[in-house]
Amino acid sequence: MRSLTLLGAVLAAGLVLAFGAAFSQEGAPVKIVPRLTGTADPMALERVPALGRAVVDDVRRMRNYPEQPPVIPHSIDGYQLTLNTNRCMDCHKREFTEGSGAPMISVTHFQDRDGQVLSDVTPRRYFCTACHVQQTDVPPLVQNRFQDAKDIGRKP
Amino acid sequence: MTLSRREMLKAQAASVAALAANMSVPAEAQPVSGGVDTLQIKWSKAPCRFCGTGCGVMVGVKEGRVIATHGDMKADVNRGLNCIKGYFLSKIMYGSDRLTQPLLRKKNGVYAKDGEFTPVSWAEAFDTMAAKAKETLKAKGPTALGMFGSGQWTIFEGYAATKLMRAGFRSNNLDPNARHCMASAAYAFMRTFGMDEPMGCYDDFEHADAFVLWGSNMAEMHPILWTRVTDRRLGQPHVKVAVLSTFTHRSSDLADIPIVFKPGTDLAILNYIANHIISTGRVNKDFVEKHTTFVKGATDIGYGLRPDDPREVKARKAADPAATTPSDFEAYAAFVKDYTLEKVSALTGVEPGFLQQLAELYADPKRKVVSFWTMGFNQHVRGVWANQLVYNLHLLTGKISEPGNSPFSLTGQPSACGTAREVGTFAHRLPADMTVTNPEHRKHTEEIWRVPNGIIPEKPGYHAVEQDRMLKDGKLNFYWIQVNNNLQAAPNSSNETYPGYRNPENFVVVSDAYPTVTAMAADLILPAAMWVEKEGAYGNAERRTHVWHQLVNAPGEARSDLWQLMEFSKRFTTDEVWPAEILDANPNYRGKTLFDVLYRNGNVDKFALSEISPDYENQESKDFGFYVHKGLFEEYATFGRGHGHDLGPYELYHEVRGLRWPVVDGKETLWRYREGLDPYVQPGKGVEFYGNKDGKARIIAVPYEPPAESPDAEYDLWLVTGRVLEHWHSGSMTMRVPELYKAFPGARCFMHPEDARKRGLNQGAEITVISRRGEMRTRVETRGRNRMPPGVVFVPWFDASQLINKTTLDATDPISKQTDFKKCAVKIVPVSG
Amino acid sequence: MARLKSFILWCWSVVVGFWRIISRPSAYLPLGLLTLGGFVGGVLFWGGFNTALEVTNTEKFCTSCHEMRDNVYQELQSTVHFSNRSGVRATCPDCHVPHNWTDKIARKMQASKEVWGKIFGTISTREKFLNMRLELAKHEWARLKANDSLECRNCHSSVAMDFTKQTRRAAEIHGRYLTTGEKTCIDCHKGIAHLLPDMTGIEPGWKDAPELQGKGSASWHGPERAMRTYLAEIGQ
Repeated sequence: MRSLTLLGAVLAAGLVLAFGAAFSQEGAPVKIVPRLTGTADPMALERVPALGRAVVDDVRRMRNYPEQPPVIPHSIDGYQLTLNTNRCMDCHKREFTEGSGAPMISVTHFQDRDGQVLSDVTPRRYFCTACHVQQTDVPPLVQNRFQDAKDIGRKP
Repeated sequence: MTLSRREMLKAQAASVAALAANMSVPAEAQPVSGGVDTLQIKWSKAPCRFCGTGCGVMVGVKEGRVIATHGDMKADVNRGLNCIKGYFLSKIMYGSDRLTQPLLRKKNGVYAKDGEFTPVSWAEAFDTMAAKAKETLKAKGPTALGMFGSGQWTIFEGYAATKLMRAGFRSNNLDPNARHCMASAAYAFMRTFGMDEPMGCYDDFEHADAFVLWGSNMAEMHPILWTRVTDRRLGQPHVKVAVLSTFTHRSSDLADIPIVFKPGTDLAILNYIANHIISTGRVNKDFVEKHTTFVKGATDIGYGLRPDDPREVKARKAADPAATTPSDFEAYAAFVKDYTLEKVSALTGVEPGFLQQLAELYADPKRKVVSFWTMGFNQHVRGVWANQLVYNLHLLTGKISEPGNSPFSLTGQPSACGTAREVGTFAHRLPADMTVTNPEHRKHTEEIWRVPNGIIPEKPGYHAVEQDRMLKDGKLNFYWIQVNNNLQAAPNSSNETYPGYRNPENFVVVSDAYPTVTAMAADLILPAAMWVEKEGAYGNAERRTHVWHQLVNAPGEARSDLWQLMEFSKRFTTDEVWPAEILDANPNYRGKTLFDVLYRNGNVDKFALSEISPDYENQESKDFGFYVHKGLFEEYATFGRGHGHDLGPYELYHEVRGLRWPVVDGKETLWRYREGLDPYVQPGKGVEFYGNKDGKARIIAVPYEPPAESPDAEYDLWLVTGRVLEHWHSGSMTMRVPELYKAFPGARCFMHPEDARKRGLNQGAEITVISRRGEMRTRVETRGRNRMPPGVVFVPWFDASQLINKTTLDATDPISKQTDFKKCAVKIVPVSG
Repeated sequence: MARLKSFILWCWSVVVGFWRIISRPSAYLPLGLLTLGGFVGGVLFWGGFNTALEVTNTEKFCTSCHEMRDNVYQELQSTVHFSNRSGVRATCPDCHVPHNWTDKIARKMQASKEVWGKIFGTISTREKFLNMRLELAKHEWARLKANDSLECRNCHSSVAMDFTKQTRRAAEIHGRYLTTGEKTCIDCHKGIAHLLPDMTGIEPGWKDAPELQGKGSASWHGPERAMRTYLAEIGQ
């Protein structure tokens, strides 16, 4: 995991260097990262990188903290989520997990607005994609220095 | 640490079983090594940093860092839920490129417009800034000084800013980015009810039988409110949802009545529904008679472009777009009679059957209806009209100011209501719905602020779009931008915004947490503390004021906008900025700094540091030596108490998950204007729209008028801009959260597959979007969440490297001065080579 | 619409004229000529019939009616069967008209009912179409279920699937349900090319795992379950 984080940092740094050429003189306090700061000339037209591809490797990603909704590690291309049907539930609904092998939606999803547990997913949680998103294979532009709780406050 | 035998056995068993299952158990999965204390997290409440929904979140802090966030179970707005952005709040402050020290453009050690950003001390930053401001004041007077604020300012920040600008520098050139966001809504409230903000609240959702979305994609932009609508729709099968938009999106997925209309024609649909209500005899005559009056609005009012634009020259009423004349029911009925089903169906491109179903939702007296709208209505060259036309429907049927019957204007920013509107940071406004043009209002404000009479200028300042024009024209020369990214957000930016920032006559200061496009185009960047790095207060769309404590410290030398405003004010004396005649009449104000007269005025500095909760840090108060937040809040609250805008005592807000004003005798008000629900309604009145002197709301007759620019043979597509779920506004926070970034890493142009094929464009192909004003590059998306009708494309504006606002038109609603970001003409060509 | 009506009228007049001629015995023509004529006529008829069949078997023909163009065709365009990696496309008849001759003719005869529907405007508006969608979809599901998803399999042969090229999840599910013959394509892939109707009560293909049907302990989550059982035992 740590080596992955390191790899991410190196990648991000590499990216910053690659895009930051315009401002790369020693000690420049702000790096140019086009998607974040705009291009060196903010009104210029620059090439647009290809759209990212969805990560569909079915590998569950570690959550940053337990309350974080897990990201979707598979394709949801064309999955319908409408008044008529909810394709996610075809696999993740409690009754279908045995057949589909998918993780069951969390118990919190059975609670209504007043915290009462219902026999099935609460209607207010019906649109899964409001909280659960797919990831693309695009590396982050800058590192995020968020620290995992497990690395804080644990004195040996 | 002792383990019982049984626990030992269990732990062992787990590892045995894990071995058997061929899983490895890392050392850290072993039982708690440092005792349960090491697992403790300090949880505190705060509102979410993003949209105007105003969800409550619990923020977990450990050793001075935010380590987790989750939806607050006790917050009525969201009851434990967050959207994807809200769940990732924990990470928004930790992008590795946070600004931690002031940066000034310098060459050879001194400030230069064409210099490179160089780290400087706060003292040097403020010295340079103050010198520039004084230079400008001396040369051109207060009207050359301006500030662009935000609906993301805390209430304290907005309030401190309006004091500094209007009473300190004597300039009304203060406008918030909320001008781009909901100025149309605010004007329509004032014109209809004489008082800003919704009469209802989110509790309406659980009482409604029908929801109508007028140009709002709540599923992506207000996801938590959408959970409440979804809960109601799916939980109560009789409930109906109608979604009106210029393209099909995620909210359409819940629609019983899906309507895609031609851009701008929503005005005709609204008038058709009024006609339907009248012609089928479903007007609530008693209500209309007692509680409404009729007016006719001026027509042919132009498009808020520069005055020399041919479209403005041609418009008959461009000079006085807000004018109205008294009218009556008969004249109104005759006016809307023109909007027949056949005619409106042909104009809008909507099937008659759907239009009838929609009209019935309003007409059916047994159905309680909530209407929602956001940018589809507000960012509209006839945005004020659109807002008012929907009020017409609720007023004609009496479906208003009671649970479940509610015309509800949603907001886009966390404190668009709380700060931009209620505090009054618009170029023409003062706190509590007062205006600078009214001498009584100015006098009242000066009294509360304890500044001499005549200090506040009476002429409204430049509004957002005009500020850009004036910067470009060299009439606005000192400009301070806080908590917004206007170079990315403003329309027609390469012609009207960027040239003003880089105009050598101008000095532009940007306060932000991250290096945004706007910051990079400034002359001085001030590093800002954000969200829970300071004590704050936001006001959401349902009049809910929500306060939070400072939970962590800002990195490096970053300081809150409030600290920046107050600290900067110390560098000016009244003798430098106020006219001699006012000082002659009020000699006791002489020789004082603006800090003294504005913030050490006996109100703001009234509360001692000892009143701050010992459990929390409070940077600004410690720096200034008094409880700044409480002082500002209590002085500000004086404006509204007893005037229908009552706020409770400050301490109360630290205890609760926000309260909806007016808060009278410690009780919040859920529905206004109805007896029994609103303490301000006089007994026996039933309903009283007390914002207007006659207690009645206005029903207005205004027609359909076409947009400022429509597609033609050359520029053959409608361009609509907007947001996506994963990114908030210009993406300066969300693009730095890896999970959000990776979920939607770049802007793209959603278009109909046939439009793409016609132009030889593959899915994912690189294209140039070209308008008469500018061009931008992006990529084609013919699939995914937005399904465009032929002839309409959608491009989100969050991506700093793909500035769609280079192509948009700086046309505004002539009444509200809010830009129409939803309708202009573009063409699209493939990028070759 | 008018074109369609005049086409039908024209066909009818041709048939009537033809019948008038052939219903009388030949008095003047030699048998050889008649035979040859019959042969040539047969070729012409067959050619014409096939051409008509081909013309009506194109996406262009299907979408010449606004009912198809404005509803189902719009939905198809954002799916993988319209635009994908290799640019191989499925058109309407690929999935909705059997390729085998007899079935195709049977389907074409059924289509006469659709012509009727067209004339009487059964789904002439979006509103009507949405109200009919469930019924229409059920017809197609039933047809594909009955023929073991034949039209899917015309392109997607299950034996030709390389499970190592599918995502693990897809390979696993196909291995359990498809290759075993437990389920057919349409059981799980409803709505693959169009929006779905109200799916209340219509369950996904895999409600019961095949290895669990009528059996006891074998499970998808074998190792975890074993661990749980073990823990429960020693917890006693």
